[in-house]
Amino acid sequence: MSNGVNGKEPHMVIENIDLAFGGTKAITDISFTVYKGEICAVIGPNGAGKSSMLNVINGVYIPQQGSITFEGKKFAKMKPHSAATMGIGRTFQNIALFSGMSVVENIMTGRNLMMKSTFIENALGIGRSKKEEILHREACEEIIEFLGLQSIRKTPVSSLSYGLQKRVELGRALAAEPKMLLLDEPIAGMNIEEKLDMACFIQEINRNRGTTIVLIEHDMGVVMDVSDHVVVMDYGAKIGDGTPEEVMSNQKVIDAYLGVSHDD
Amino acid sequence: MEFLTGLLSIFTTEGIFSPFGVETVIAGMLSGVMYSLVGIGFVLIYKSSGVFNFAQGTMLLFAALTFVSLTERQVNPIVAFTITTVVMILMGIIIERYVMRPLANQSLLSLFMATVGLNYFLEGLAQGTWDSAVHGVDLGIPSDPIFLAEHFPDNPWFDIIISKFDGFAAAVAFFLVLGLYLFFQYTRTGLSLRAVSDDHLAAQAVGIPLSKIWAIVWAVTGVITFIVGLIWADRLSVSFTLTAAVLKGLPVILIGGLTSIPGCIIGGLIIGASEKIGEIYFAPILGGQGIEHWWAYLTALVFILIRPTGIFGEREIERI
Amino acid sequence: MYYRETGQTVKNYTEDRRMVPLREDRWIMWAFLAVLFIGVPMFANDYVLSAIFIPMMVLGIAALGLNIAVGYTGQLSLGTAGFMCFGAFTAFNLLFRVEWMNVWLAFLMSGVVAGLVGIIFGLPSLRIKGFYLLVSTLCAQFFAEWFFNAYPWFLNNSTSGVAALPPFHYRFLPYQEQIFDLFGWDKDYNAYIWRYFIALITTVLLALACKNMVRSSTGRNWMAVRDMDIAANVIGISVGKTKINAFFVSCFYCGIAGAMYSYCYIGNLDFMIFNLRRSFLIMFMVILGGLGSILGSFLGAIFVYGWPILLTRTADAVFGGGTLDTAFIENNSKIIVGTFIVVLLIYQPMGFAGLWNSVKHKLRIWPFKT
Repeated sequence: MSNGVNGKEPHMVIENIDLAFGGTKAITDISFTVYKGEICAVIGPNGAGKSSMLNVINGVYIPQQGSITFEGKKFAKMKPHSAATMGIGRTFQNIALFSGMSVVENIMTGRNLMMKSTFIENALGIGRSKKEEILHREACEEIIEFLGLQSIRKTPVSSLSYGLQKRVELGRALAAEPKMLLLDEPIAGMNIEEKLDMACFIQEINRNRGTTIVLIEHDMGVVMDVSDHVVVMDYGAKIGDGTPEEVMSNQKVIDAYLGVSHDD
Repeated sequence: MEFLTGLLSIFTTEGIFSPFGVETVIAGMLSGVMYSLVGIGFVLIYKSSGVFNFAQGTMLLFAALTFVSLTERQVNPIVAFTITTVVMILMGIIIERYVMRPLANQSLLSLFMATVGLNYFLEGLAQGTWDSAVHGVDLGIPSDPIFLAEHFPDNPWFDIIISKFDGFAAAVAFFLVLGLYLFFQYTRTGLSLRAVSDDHLAAQAVGIPLSKIWAIVWAVTGVITFIVGLIWADRLSVSFTLTAAVLKGLPVILIGGLTSIPGCIIGGLIIGASEKIGEIYFAPILGGQGIEHWWAYLTALVFILIRPTGIFGEREIERI
Repeated sequence: MYYRETGQTVKNYTEDRRMVPLREDRWIMWAFLAVLFIGVPMFANDYVLSAIFIPMMVLGIAALGLNIAVGYTGQLSLGTAGFMCFGAFTAFNLLFRVEWMNVWLAFLMSGVVAGLVGIIFGLPSLRIKGFYLLVSTLCAQFFAEWFFNAYPWFLNNSTSGVAALPPFHYRFLPYQEQIFDLFGWDKDYNAYIWRYFIALITTVLLALACKNMVRSSTGRNWMAVRDMDIAANVIGISVGKTKINAFFVSCFYCGIAGAMYSYCYIGNLDFMIFNLRRSFLIMFMVILGGLGSILGSFLGAIFVYGWPILLTRTADAVFGGGTLDTAFIENNSKIIVGTFIVVLLIYQPMGFAGLWNSVKHKLRIWPFKT
């Protein structure tokens, strides 16, 4: 695979994805490339098919056509489980935490792929069980510290505020040490402080861990600030792709966002 | 080997494709209508409120037992019928008001468990109020068989005996379904009911009083359960075993898809036919009679594995 | 007022993931175990052992087994008694037919066999969800009832439908005969005191194992599948494997509970008692005790089993013996248990375990409120 436009290496190439539910088309012929180590924002009006796009990437939805190439390996369809194994992490638009567990337990589930002990070892507390549990707890505590969740680590997640829940969900995705993170509206519905915190977290994850980030967001200010690359969708199709500056000056994008009179 | 040849011979003209086999299937389907009848109440409640009402069988026992006990105490049958109907309506309203309404917005599992608790409560109440003896019931439903062969003497395929009782049950089922259809299609309440079953929140937003609708559904179900209970009582007599009706209804509505009344009827036919085939052809090979309980569930399992939401069930796209 | 964590600090993660984090709780637990292992055998008579302690432990394990499927993994099951039946018959046939078999190994195997049966009937959970899964577990229940009726070989061809469990089945010690000779004990190996110890040791071990599982990756995977299976899948938990694993462990517990039911509690083997009603009673224990709680499973078992006894005893004490007929007791227990289920679901969905936790919470912050 050749190097991308700005001399960067592609991390994931999405080609000609088509997705329909019964008769309704959610995504039409979308292609774009996410480069290694960048923050790529997918924007677009409500119902543009952004969340569906993320669901296709990690295999929750199966596209009718097209392919996804992740780290040089090409797939006609992903499976959620293999996406996770390959290092694609994910947070959801409507928080998808495990509501019956505490914060630390939720984050620990993020490391399930690295925990090899069987249920017999776990039941008897022998073999790898105890060692693994402590080892991964240490890794999770680092994340808890990074996200500032120390004081609530044992709190059941269902009793936390929306902003904190979003943070825990990010923590759970981070615990898997993903190579690529898909964030579905990570700062939507937050107050200004929470938004700033979250934006900082995202940038820090990207810089310090080198994680490629694909995020969906409505807050244009944040999008233009943090992202290196913006893909714009409207009605299931791609209408813009480029740096924030390029996209901002794209007439189609402006039309989609500001509306355009159709009488000409 | 013997097992395999036995199994294969079932699907030959010696087996279910013989005149006797056809008779078995038809008789089975007709008896399956009894199961569909139990299922109708289930479906009504599940469709409107998402409650998987396990107490259906005990409600049936309660209604039948109340009616029988009243008539045994020399109450005029018509008066007893009216009293029982009123009792069942009240019961429906009370259940909705004091059990289901406080549990609204809880998980489906909690609602199901509440009905399991309710089931146990009603069992105790029914037998505590009346008694746990076996009561015979004769409503005068004819139960003598009709020999179709008498009308078609030369054709072995018509060598079929149909019980008039099953015919009667089928007629009741037909009128119940017709009545419900008319109710749903042509009344204001029916329209509201359909709206509620489509989307609780949207229905509430346009001003449909949810709890009133649910109360109506529970009351209507109570009455239907009473009618069905009478038919079951006539066949089995009234005793604790009547609660087993719920176990007959379960595979039926699950095959049908939980939300569909036509599905419930078809499910009944399938389970009825399958039970008879199982009992007559499969039980001897499997090594023992009395397989019908798990056989019915196995049949349902096969159908559900093919279509995980039943024949007419709604498949939901999981949004995340 | 002494009951609080102030001053108790954890210095490492090993300490932090203790089973019983509070020092006071640990004292209570050790005291409780001491009572069970030393106090009860010293003071309890056969009636108390056979009618109170043993059945409560046996049913507690059955409830715990069901709780693993329903409470921890969210898979509805109504086949508990059927799985217990497979366990009971496995234990019987092993102890009856295999010379060198002992109770512990037989119990273990009964768990394994029931677990494998559980896997078979759990397989449909890979494709079907929610209430539709009831079909599979009810099928298991009715299949078990039919199977052991249709094939009486498993019951040693007993014509009465019940097989006796003679004392020589109770082989629970190495060199058992010599040891009994040494101490000069009566050789009725099936005396209630031995059955009590067998039940107690099994119960404690199984409860510990369950606690170990739920505080490790196994339990977290179960709960993840219960709370949100799509999200679990996305973070790499194999939902199918987890469900099958939960069915195995759940039925393993139920199987052992079935073997205990026969060997420790009623002392004979009878497939009629492993009927659907039993499954429902165990379901009640789980609902009342608290979904997803080990303590709750036992509390639920104690309540559902103990309530009719308490009612009878109280009535006998107040009105003189035998005033209340069994039908009255039974109907009233049904009404009360049914009411309790509904009321608890409305006010405390976590059941008795939830109540217990809120009491503990109140104690901890006393004299302050909430």
